[in-house]
Amino acid sequence: MPSEAAALIARLARPAPASTAFTEVRFVRLLRKPLVLRGQLDYNGPGQLGKRVDAPYRETTKIAAGAVEVTREGRTPRHFDLQRAPELQALLTGFSALLGGDAERLRQFYTISVVENATTWTLTLAPLTPSQHLRALVVDAAAGEPHCFTVQQSDGDSSTLLLGPLAAKPLPQPLTPAAIAAMCKA
Amino acid sequence: MTNARRIRLIALWWLALTALAVLAQHRLVVSGDLRDFMPPPTNADQKLLLDEIGEGAASRLLLIAIGGAAPEHLADLSRGLAQTLRADPQFERVLDGDGDVASLDPALLPYRYLLSPTLDDHVLDTAYLREELRQRVEDLGSPAGEMVKDLLPRDPTLEVVKLAQRWAPRHAPASRDGVWFSPRGEALLLAQTRAGGFDPTAQAAAIAALQNKFAALAHAGTAQLSISGPGYIGVQVGAATRSEAERLSAWGSAGFIVLLLLAYRSFGVLALVALPLLSGALAGVTAIALIFGHVHGITLAFGFTLLGVAQEYPLRVFSHRRADADSATSVREVWPLLRLAIVSACIAYLAFLASGVTGLQQLAVFTIAGLLVAGAATRWWLPELLPRKFRDVADSTWLETLRAGIDRVRRPRWLPWMLLAIALAWLRLASTPLWQNDLAALTPASPALLAREGELRAALGAPDVRYLLVLQAPTADGVLALSERISPHVDQWIAAHAVDDVELPSRWLPSLATQRARQQKLPDRATLSTSLDAALADTDFQPGLFAPFLDDVETARRLPLLTPADFARSPFGARLQAMLVQRDGHWLGLAALSGVHDAAAIAADSSDAIRLLDLKAATEALVAQYRTRILIALGVALALLALSVAVAFRNLRRAWHVLAPMSLATLLAFAVLRAGGVSLSLFHLVALTLAAGLGLHYALFFERRTRDAAEARRTLHATLVCVISALLVFGLLATSALPVLRAIGLTVALGVLFHFVLSIQMARHDS
Repeated sequence: MPSEAAALIARLARPAPASTAFTEVRFVRLLRKPLVLRGQLDYNGPGQLGKRVDAPYRETTKIAAGAVEVTREGRTPRHFDLQRAPELQALLTGFSALLGGDAERLRQFYTISVVENATTWTLTLAPLTPSQHLRALVVDAAAGEPHCFTVQQSDGDSSTLLLGPLAAKPLPQPLTPAAIAAMCKA
Repeated sequence: MTNARRIRLIALWWLALTALAVLAQHRLVVSGDLRDFMPPPTNADQKLLLDEIGEGAASRLLLIAIGGAAPEHLADLSRGLAQTLRADPQFERVLDGDGDVASLDPALLPYRYLLSPTLDDHVLDTAYLREELRQRVEDLGSPAGEMVKDLLPRDPTLEVVKLAQRWAPRHAPASRDGVWFSPRGEALLLAQTRAGGFDPTAQAAAIAALQNKFAALAHAGTAQLSISGPGYIGVQVGAATRSEAERLSAWGSAGFIVLLLLAYRSFGVLALVALPLLSGALAGVTAIALIFGHVHGITLAFGFTLLGVAQEYPLRVFSHRRADADSATSVREVWPLLRLAIVSACIAYLAFLASGVTGLQQLAVFTIAGLLVAGAATRWWLPELLPRKFRDVADSTWLETLRAGIDRVRRPRWLPWMLLAIALAWLRLASTPLWQNDLAALTPASPALLAREGELRAALGAPDVRYLLVLQAPTADGVLALSERISPHVDQWIAAHAVDDVELPSRWLPSLATQRARQQKLPDRATLSTSLDAALADTDFQPGLFAPFLDDVETARRLPLLTPADFARSPFGARLQAMLVQRDGHWLGLAALSGVHDAAAIAADSSDAIRLLDLKAATEALVAQYRTRILIALGVALALLALSVAVAFRNLRRAWHVLAPMSLATLLAFAVLRAGGVSLSLFHLVALTLAAGLGLHYALFFERRTRDAAEARRTLHATLVCVISALLVFGLLATSALPVLRAIGLTVALGVLFHFVLSIQMARHDS
C-alpha cells in the first residue's frame, strides 16, 4: 500500500460519535430512475452505524454487533444479519476503518489504491477476495473531509452517499453515475 | 497333581475366561434401547413412546455452546465446527444459525402461493399489488435491498421471505455474523445425532467426535466448548455412576481380599475365588449372545447382581476342606446343599422365562446359565486346583466358642411372629409412595448439569424432551387439516404463556383443502397482468420486469396440490417427514413443544384427536407395568422355590425351617426400607431377590444337622465369611451418594443381616 494512502486514512480519523447529513443516490437496474434519499448518518464507533432516512419516506437503520434493524413508520422492525447484506457490511467496515483512521484493518479486506489531486483525493477499496456483490468501495475526500462514499456492486448497481456540504447541494441533471462521480471529485 | 500343573491349569482357566470375554464383547450388543428392557407396548401411546424415546428428535439433540473468546472468533469457530460436524455421518443435522432458510427448492418455487398464508387474507388485485410494490421500492432503497433485489422480478410480494419467516424457529437465539449467540455471549449450535438419545455408547462416541473436532479446529485457542442435552447428560451420569461403582468395588475387593487372607491364611485361594463367578457370568453372557444377540444394559446389570449368590460357592468349598480327607471328599460333603440351592434357584428363575417379557427372559437365561456353570465349576474344577497346603478352619478355638454361643442363643417361638407384626406395622405406617417408577431418579444428573441444559435449551429455543403434542387423523392430509384447525388454539396457548412455541406440521405444509382454496384465489394471467399494470402505473420499475411473476402465478394455478410425500422430497421435507407417522391404519402428527410452562393447561385442552403426550409419565406407566410383571414372576418363582425345597427334603417341616426365615427376613428388609421412607424401584426388587438367594444358603446350612462338631464349625466359618464379605461389599455400596448404588447396597446389606440373624433364630431346630 502506498504510504500516502495510510497518511490520508489517518487524516480521516474522527472520534465517535460523529453525525452528518447525507443525500444518497442509488442506481438500481430494476428501476428506471435512481432513488434519492435524504437523512442523517450517525457513526457510533467501530461496527456501529445509524442511518436515518427522512425523505421521501421515513426509515431508521441501526447496525450493531453484526445485526441490522430496519424500522419503517407504522411497521414492526425487521431484523437481519449483517452477513446477509454484503453491501452494507462493506460500507460499515470501510466506514469504521476510515473514521477510525485504521489503514491496517482496511488492508485485511481490501486492495487500496489512491489517486491524489491538488486538494482532493480518491481512495478505491477493492475486496481482496472477489465478491459476488461488492466490486469496490470508493471514498472521495477533500481537505481531510470525506465527501462521498460510493458502493459499486458487482451487478452494476451503485449507490453514493453525499456527505456534509455535498448533501445540501443540488443534484446534477440528468442524474447518472458519471454525473455523481464528477460531483464527488469536484 | 503337581503344584506346577495346578498353576498352569489355573492360568489356563483365566486365559480361557479372558478369551471368552473378548469374544462375548464382540458378539453381544449391549444397547441402551429401552425396547430391549421394557415389556412390549400395549397401547398406542406406549408404542409411540418407545419410538420417541429411542429415536425422538428432541432426545437426539446435543446443545453446544462455545465461549471464552471474542465474538468474531467464536463465530468463526462455530462455523468451522458446524462444517466439520456436517461431514460426519454420526450427525444428522447441524444448525449454527438462521442459515439460508429462504433457499426454497427451485422446483417448489411456484408452490409458494399455495404454501404461504398471504392469499388467505388478500387477493392479488391492483390495490394489494400497488401497496406491495411501493414497499419494494423502499426495500430497494434500504440496506435490505440487495437481499430482495434478485427475488423481486419473480416474487414482488416476497412470499419466499414470508415462508422463510414461517419456517424459522420462533424463538431462535440472537444471531451475530450469521451465528447464534446466547445472552451470555457464547456461540450456540444444535447437533442432532443419528443415534438414539438413550444409546449411551453411540452418544459417547458422537460426543467424543464432537470434542475432537473442536480441539482440532485451528486457532481454537482459549475458547471453550461446552455440551449439554439428554445424550450428554446420560453419558455423564453413566460415567459418574460407573466411576463411583468402580471406586467402591475397588475398596470392597480390597476388603474382601483381606478377609480371605484372614479367613484362610492362603494366597492361593485369591487366584481361585473369582473363577466360578466369572465363569458363570461369562456363561450367562454367552447364552444371551447366542439366544438373543442383544441385551439392555440394565438387564445385564440386574443379571450380574443376581448372580452374586455364586460368589458363595467357592467360599463354602474353602471353609469345608477337612484335614482328614482330600478336597474332592470335602466338596462332596457340602455339594448336596449347594446343588439344592442352585437347582431350586434355577427352577425359580424359570418363572422369569415364562413371563413373556424379553428383558426378564434374558435375565432368566443369564442367571440360570450363570448359576449352573458357577456351580459346576465349583463342584468339578475347583477342588482339583485347590492349594495343597491349607488349614482346617475347624481347628480354631474361637469358632467353637462362637458356635457354642450361637447354640445357646434363646430362640423364643414368639419372636418371629412379633417381628412379622412389626414389619407389617411399618409397612402400613410408611407414608412415602410405595414405588419409584422414574428410573432416571435413581441416576440423577447433578443440578449444575440440569441447570446448564435448561439454560442452553431456553437460549436455543430447542424442543422440550418431555412433552409432545400428538394429532391423530385417518390420513396424513387429515393430520394437516387438524393441525390448521387447532392453530388458533395453539396461538392462545402461546399468548397465555402456557408454552413458548409449538411446531405444528401445518407450519410446513398446508392441507390439500387450504392449498386448493389458495390456488382458486390466484387470478388468471390476463386479470393479473391488468392489475399489475395498473399497480405499476405510478412506479419507476422497469417495464416488463415482472414477467417471471406472471409466469409463476400462471404455473401455480395449474400445479397439482403438494402432498406430504411430494414435500418430503424437498430440502425441508425431512422436517415434516419426521412429524408425520403412520401407525395402525391412522396417521399421527407429532408437534414438538418448546418452553412448556403449563402442561396442565395444555393437557386440559386435549381430546381424542389432539393430546399432550407426557413421555415421562408414559415411561413411568410402562415401568409400573414392567414391575407388575416382575412381581408376578417373583411370586411364581418363590412358589417354585418352596416347592423344589419341599420336594428335595420330602419333609414340609424342614422346608418350613428354611423358607420361613428367608421370607420373614425379606419382608423385614422391605419393611425397614419403607420405614426409612424409601420408595421401591426395580433395583430394590432385584437386590431383595439377591439377598433372598443368599439367605437361602444361610438357612440351608444352618438347617443342616450334623453330628460332627468340626463340620458344624466349618459350616459356621463358611457362613461367617459369606455374610461378612456380603456386608462389606454391599455395605460400601450403601454409603454411596448415588441413589442406584445406595438402593442395591443398602437393600442387600440389610437383607443379608436379617437373613443371617433369622436363620440362626429360625432355621436351627432340635431334632
